[in-house]
Amino acid sequence: MRQGFYSGGWTYTLLVAPILILIVIFFYIPVGLAFFWSFFLERPFGGGSDFVGFQNYARVLSDPEFWSAMRRTLVFMVLAPGLAIGISLILALAADRGLRLSSAARNIIIWPKAVAGASIGVVFVFIFDPFLGVFAPLNEAFPGVWNPRTDGNDAFATILVAQIWNGIPFNFIILLSGLQAIPDTLTKAAAMDGAGPWRRIRDIQLPLLTPQLFLTFVLEFVGTIVEAFGLIDTMTQGGPGGATTLLIYKIYVDGFKAYDLSGAATQTALLILFVGIMVLLQFRLEKHVKYER
Amino acid sequence: MSCITEAKKNPMEAEEKVMKSTLYAAGLAAAAFAASAAHSAEIEFWYGNTGAVEEAIQAQCAAFNAAQSEHVVSCVGQGGYEPAMQKAIAAYRSSQHPVLIQFFDAGTLDLMLSGAVRSVQDLMSDVDWDDYVVGARSFYETSTGELFSQPYNGSTLIFYANMDMLGDVGVSEIPQTYEDVVTVARKLKDNGHECPVLQRVHPWFSLEQFSARHGEAIASNNNGYGGLDAEFTFNTGLVATHLQNIQSWRDEGLFRLPTDVAGGKNAFVTGECAMVENSTAHYAAAFPAHGDAIAIGLPPIYDGYQRHNTLIGGGSIWAMQGHDDADYDAARAFLNFVRQNDQQIEFAGRTGYMPVTNSALAALLASDKSDQLEYATAAVGVGSLNQPGDENSRGIRLGFYVQFRDVYTEEVTKALNGEQDMQVALDNAAKRGDELLRRFEKTYQGVSLP
Repeated sequence: MRQGFYSGGWTYTLLVAPILILIVIFFYIPVGLAFFWSFFLERPFGGGSDFVGFQNYARVLSDPEFWSAMRRTLVFMVLAPGLAIGISLILALAADRGLRLSSAARNIIIWPKAVAGASIGVVFVFIFDPFLGVFAPLNEAFPGVWNPRTDGNDAFATILVAQIWNGIPFNFIILLSGLQAIPDTLTKAAAMDGAGPWRRIRDIQLPLLTPQLFLTFVLEFVGTIVEAFGLIDTMTQGGPGGATTLLIYKIYVDGFKAYDLSGAATQTALLILFVGIMVLLQFRLEKHVKYER
Repeated sequence: MSCITEAKKNPMEAEEKVMKSTLYAAGLAAAAFAASAAHSAEIEFWYGNTGAVEEAIQAQCAAFNAAQSEHVVSCVGQGGYEPAMQKAIAAYRSSQHPVLIQFFDAGTLDLMLSGAVRSVQDLMSDVDWDDYVVGARSFYETSTGELFSQPYNGSTLIFYANMDMLGDVGVSEIPQTYEDVVTVARKLKDNGHECPVLQRVHPWFSLEQFSARHGEAIASNNNGYGGLDAEFTFNTGLVATHLQNIQSWRDEGLFRLPTDVAGGKNAFVTGECAMVENSTAHYAAAFPAHGDAIAIGLPPIYDGYQRHNTLIGGGSIWAMQGHDDADYDAARAFLNFVRQNDQQIEFAGRTGYMPVTNSALAALLASDKSDQLEYATAAVGVGSLNQPGDENSRGIRLGFYVQFRDVYTEEVTKALNGEQDMQVALDNAAKRGDELLRRFEKTYQGVSLP
């Protein structure tokens, strides 16, 4: 039997139609065009496009720059979500235990969520400035130890820290709410049976938190691939020497600054495929997530 | 089972979608507005500059509209050279492009081949185009010498020195050659100066302007003016020697990169560095900081080389295809208006750009304005642009050049950071650049270079 508030299917269709139309116009058509252009050599102002089959793919896939951007994206994709979720988890567990000041911390930790990615970038450039920032004293003691303007690893680290800092508030909210939804009775019963705090975390809280952990992982994985753009653009512009050129930034530079529409389209198609595969893999992982309590 | 995740994800997605759709709606409204504007009687001129330059452009438009009643030009800022180009591409593809548009130097070849623009010389055959200064004219002309766009806001490379600092080591003249620069830099260093010379890595400084004024090519076919089958050659020429020199001068503590100093690109303004090659536009920041201590001169060359013109930077105005005669009449009137001597002088005074015609410069030098601060760079800058030109100092006409600039910066930066040998870096940059040129050539197969 049909459940629901409205009797006919048309009402649903009408209600959903505006958003569907917008998604088609602004998502599916551009994505479709990207796949289409990836088989052509396309001139920026139009007027001529040569069908070249898989040549664009062959070129991109044999380009060492593409692979190093891909490698950096992968490293970033593992480190940023891992640390952002790990740190949020520790904070959430601490806040959940009702330690001293935890109610104030719950409030304060969420504030960074209100700061836009590009603004974070601007602030962090200043914080990590080799001459004026927090590590400037270190540079005075050991000249040249810290300089994200010239050292690729330092620059990568600053982007990473900014991304993690940006990700913590949201993950913290989700994980804390997940922890608070775990019935008190379970932890109390475990405590009565003699389980210490670590044991309770490992055997009760973490297993019951898997839905929230899974959610944050899915969102963080996909988010780090695309959201790092604002940070890179404001902090390093992909440099120094390409050390922070993640794939998403390379696509932007190729397409919008260099008018290489075919190259950018091809890499976009590859990025979409890559994200798709990652999400599929994650949903295979979902089989191990326990939603029942 | 999975319905719980759905339920948890949905509010978030919905929020995101609402936000997106709001943005899209705003975008649609903007597009509709642009469409209606394009159909009215006035013509549009799109430009990229912001800040003081934008104010000067708006003032110029207002002056044009006030000076005559036949035409109306509406000047629309696009928030940057690159957004202007991106929007022009999108607008042209949907036939909503303006009649006039300002583009920046690096997009020249893409535009010439696009079929989306018509040459200003074709649009206005009765103008004395030879009045434009050498470096400005050659940059925007075709291989056959037809001027394609009208130079508008022109800058070029000049040399700055802080004479207070140079005076401390007994130097009273701004150095003219690299040999002299290095001699002065050694004196400064021996005197305990941390940053005698600030050197930018970006190819506009270390490759393009350097090669042009030495009369050296960076690519075959006279930097691509002779055809799309050009190949990069800078990796074996004087540029290779120069970059290796820069590297050893940096090791010696004579040259510093922006990344080595607290002030970064502005380390000359902040008073850390004593000398720098920079755009004429830099003067607007340098003078307030150091006043009369600043001396400017032609950018240094190596001993034994004949000096050629430097290249023009900034932007020029292009006329786009596909409009009717009335629109082009308005465009002609506007282009003629901004070319007038007093308009150029007024614009230069407000922006720090230079006059781009010889008659405007002569008018400026003859007027009582010539010794005003706002015009301090005009004589030196135009002087540099007006040095004798040759086939290799005309400009750069190479495909995917913006991408190549990134490639060059990346490879050379790696070498300067000690990650690879400088010669390897230049060879890599040339090789990767050639791949870009070949792909560009293929993209524009069957199109001949005007």
